[in-house]
Amino acid sequence: MNTTLDHDREDLRHAEYVLGVLDAGARAGVERELRDDPRAVAEVARWQRHLMPLADEIAPVAPPAYVWARLQNALGLASAPSRESARSRASWWNDLALWRWIGLGASAVAAACVIALLVQSQPPPAPAAATSYMVARIEQDNGVPGWTVTMDPAHARLVVVPAAPKAIASNRAPELWLIPQGGKPIAVGVFARNKATSLSLSPELLANLNANALLAVSIEPPGGSPTGQPTGPVIGKGTISGA
Amino acid sequence: MSATATTDTEDLTRILRAVADGDRNAFAELYRRTSSKLFGVCLRMLHERGDAEDVLQEVFTAVWRRAGSFDAARAGAMTWLITMTRNRAIDRLRQRREAPLDEATERELVDDQPTPAANTETSQQRRRLERCLDTLDPQQKTAVRAAFFAGLTYNELATRSGVPLATMKSWIRRSLIRLRACLEQSS
Repeated sequence: MNTTLDHDREDLRHAEYVLGVLDAGARAGVERELRDDPRAVAEVARWQRHLMPLADEIAPVAPPAYVWARLQNALGLASAPSRESARSRASWWNDLALWRWIGLGASAVAAACVIALLVQSQPPPAPAAATSYMVARIEQDNGVPGWTVTMDPAHARLVVVPAAPKAIASNRAPELWLIPQGGKPIAVGVFARNKATSLSLSPELLANLNANALLAVSIEPPGGSPTGQPTGPVIGKGTISGA
Repeated sequence: MSATATTDTEDLTRILRAVADGDRNAFAELYRRTSSKLFGVCLRMLHERGDAEDVLQEVFTAVWRRAGSFDAARAGAMTWLITMTRNRAIDRLRQRREAPLDEATERELVDDQPTPAANTETSQQRRRLERCLDTLDPQQKTAVRAAFFAGLTYNELATRSGVPLATMKSWIRRSLIRLRACLEQSS
């Protein structure tokens, strides 16, 4: 009696795999099948052709430049000599592994020293492009440094490096804010909880980046505060100083 | 399909073949042409930028190492790339989502209606798929879209929609059978 139904269920597994409704175990099952069953491969390909046009409506979003730099480093493709000199400064700035390493020191002073060393080892920059970094160490309410934030106003970038942040619920995300003196917080962005994150600085943020401003971290929904102002508890704050 | 779309597909196929031969310039060209679309897919499914960046890097790492396994006879280059991206995004969601669904996903279930403005190059296949989706009951269509765009499991879909798991399974399976019949009859 049930043969047709069972057959359908069996038959639809590949469609369910492509649609994305299977749990991890069932997905692994289909993936095993795909390794040596040409019929399964053909069936999955058929459903990909059927369903993938849905992805047409997903708007493209340009990834940040450091993803490409990271990718080239990871694949060992970064040594193409022609581009190297022009990119050398950008490439260490983009090297999140370096920032993670700096973060291990958990100290803004250490970060500043490393930056000083790196800057010295570069060819001297043109006077107009003189670089000045700013650093903030964000302390949590228990007094333990949570993150080190290094700002590079000349390139409108900053990097948030975790030091010893307290655990954050898995369905929440930390968001960084700039609080101008006497002003309302301005969102900088959501960052990864356990690794260095590079964020860009909007003109509004750049205009308010000075030693009188504070940086703060609040706990928000994964995509960031929906209101433009912190909605969750503020778990850390730090003042900004020149590096 | 427009001539431009065909040319794009041929170009990407050629570029992927060059990547398979280890051509770094072709790899850079591929990244330049496709990373924004694929990053859009990552963000749509994962919401968190850090995760989306990691998955994008994984995808291109896999492309660099295994572009040779691309088979143009089986799928278009873009379909292949998007499929790989979705698969990795779904894997990450499965690792992440032992916890209850977050608000972003909840929003996804409510908002996940077609957004024609986001897409200027609506392909013929897309229009046909949209026509076939329109033959489904609205609830079932919503469930199919949520599954595709948010990578939700049967369990998660059922919880979100407030229906029993068996009902959700039967909605989706019936939808898939109807879609298959509709798509294959009109192709």
